[in-house]
Amino acid sequence: MKPMLSTDLNVAETAVEKAKIEVKNLNFYYGQSKALKDINLSLPERSVTAFIGPSGCGKSTLLRVLNRIYELYPKQSAEGQVLLDGKNILDRSQDLNLLRTKIGMVFQKPTPFPMSIYENIAFGVRLYEKISKAEMDNRVEQALKRAALWNEVKDKLNASGLSLSGGQQQRLCIARTVAVKPEVILLDEPASALDPLSTAKIEELIDELQADYTIVIVTHNMQQAARVSRQTAFMYLGELVEFDRTEKIFTSPREKRTQDYITGRFG
Amino acid sequence: MSVAMSLHQRRKRKNGVMMALCVIAAGIGLAWLALILGALVYKGLSGVSLSVFTEMTPPPGDAGGLLNAIYGSIVMTIIGIIVGTPIGVLAGTYMAEYGRFSRLTTVVRFINDILLSAPSIIVGLFVYELLVRPMGHFSAIAGAVALSILVIPVVVRTTEDMLNLVPNALREAGTAIGAPRWVVIRSVAYRAALSGIVTGILLAIARISGETAPLLFTALNNQFWSSNLNAPMASLPVTIFQFALSPYEEWQQLAWTGALIITLTVLGLSIFARSLTGRREDR
Repeated sequence: MKPMLSTDLNVAETAVEKAKIEVKNLNFYYGQSKALKDINLSLPERSVTAFIGPSGCGKSTLLRVLNRIYELYPKQSAEGQVLLDGKNILDRSQDLNLLRTKIGMVFQKPTPFPMSIYENIAFGVRLYEKISKAEMDNRVEQALKRAALWNEVKDKLNASGLSLSGGQQQRLCIARTVAVKPEVILLDEPASALDPLSTAKIEELIDELQADYTIVIVTHNMQQAARVSRQTAFMYLGELVEFDRTEKIFTSPREKRTQDYITGRFG
Repeated sequence: MSVAMSLHQRRKRKNGVMMALCVIAAGIGLAWLALILGALVYKGLSGVSLSVFTEMTPPPGDAGGLLNAIYGSIVMTIIGIIVGTPIGVLAGTYMAEYGRFSRLTTVVRFINDILLSAPSIIVGLFVYELLVRPMGHFSAIAGAVALSILVIPVVVRTTEDMLNLVPNALREAGTAIGAPRWVVIRSVAYRAALSGIVTGILLAIARISGETAPLLFTALNNQFWSSNLNAPMASLPVTIFQFALSPYEEWQQLAWTGALIITLTVLGLSIFARSLTGRREDR
């Protein structure tokens, strides 16, 4: 794992990095109430970005805009632009199912499907690809290895996904997400329901995954944000207060509100 | 200190009295059930023999069995379930999945609840007007339709309830992996709710297999073997009704035996349904 405050990055390096996702003038509404106010930020490719802030600040809402999962519910609407590789995903013409194969998501509580471990992973792959049994076996194995779960489950792939422990279930969900080969992975407080050991495993995993994926993580745990992310966005009351390299946010934040939050004065 | 003690004692006494009342109330409820079951077994068991399942309902004063009535009950129940279940499951699915936030769902749920508690004789009259009168005669088909109308509200209700118990997080997870809505419903929500939905269907079978009123106006009865769906058909409940009211001893005995058969079947279905839900909770 990376040291808590690595300084191997410099400003120039981050500046030239290609943006995978760009959020422009984003506003979000739950019915009449405005939950996100004019958000602008750019998430660099193949690196981990953390959203932090007190409860109700809009960090989860922002995450849920990125794969438009909020559209499952009526009366929630977003306006503005979210560009994925330069293409606006908030556009009406965007195919939502295809979008979600490109932008995977892992939730706070582990959500294995009520089927076997093998089927949990094959399910998503089968939706968009027609591959042979041998290829699928290989795909499942790769995904489970990627999520550091293979050694624990290789002898019981036909057991129910629900029979695993909480930490294993969460890694199964990560494996399931990785198996459909997304480009971006959204993590909504992925370790907040897990014990410290499982949390450490998940964090280790995030660190490895950023070599191939653009990762966005929402977390309540500031130490976690400091440990796993390269850049951090601090949000407060629906606004993006500060967005910078993680060590900058945690050592010399520009804004007083950020300073107050990370030093535990509120939130 | 002594005041506190006496308060405590008073509460303990009150608690004891209330507990005793509750136990007595529960005991009275259970006692009736036990009496009914006891009477059925006592009176019905002596009539159980192979001929009950191999011979037709006899004319007065003769020996016979219940074969045509058992057959009629099974046929009409199966048709009723086959017709009613898909409609009920689909309506329940609409209400819990697609129409979760729509006004139509509230209206349908309200009407369904009325239908659920409507006296079954009204359903019988309705089908009488709808099918029996235009066709000019009683028929097994009309009986099956009446039963299917009774199945629908039970299945709608349990399907909706069971799907509502599936956590939204699971639907979100299915959606987040790129599955279209219908795939999420079919492969995730149905699978998570399966044992509950099956339980609902079993309970519907249990309910209609004992229904008499809707069959009286629709399938009527038949003294003889008939597999013609377009003709009157015998059924266990109606046969019991007719035989129990008769002055003939053989008929009365067959009525008791028929009642025992229905009760044991329903009991068996309920236990099976319970074991399905139980297994889900274990998991």
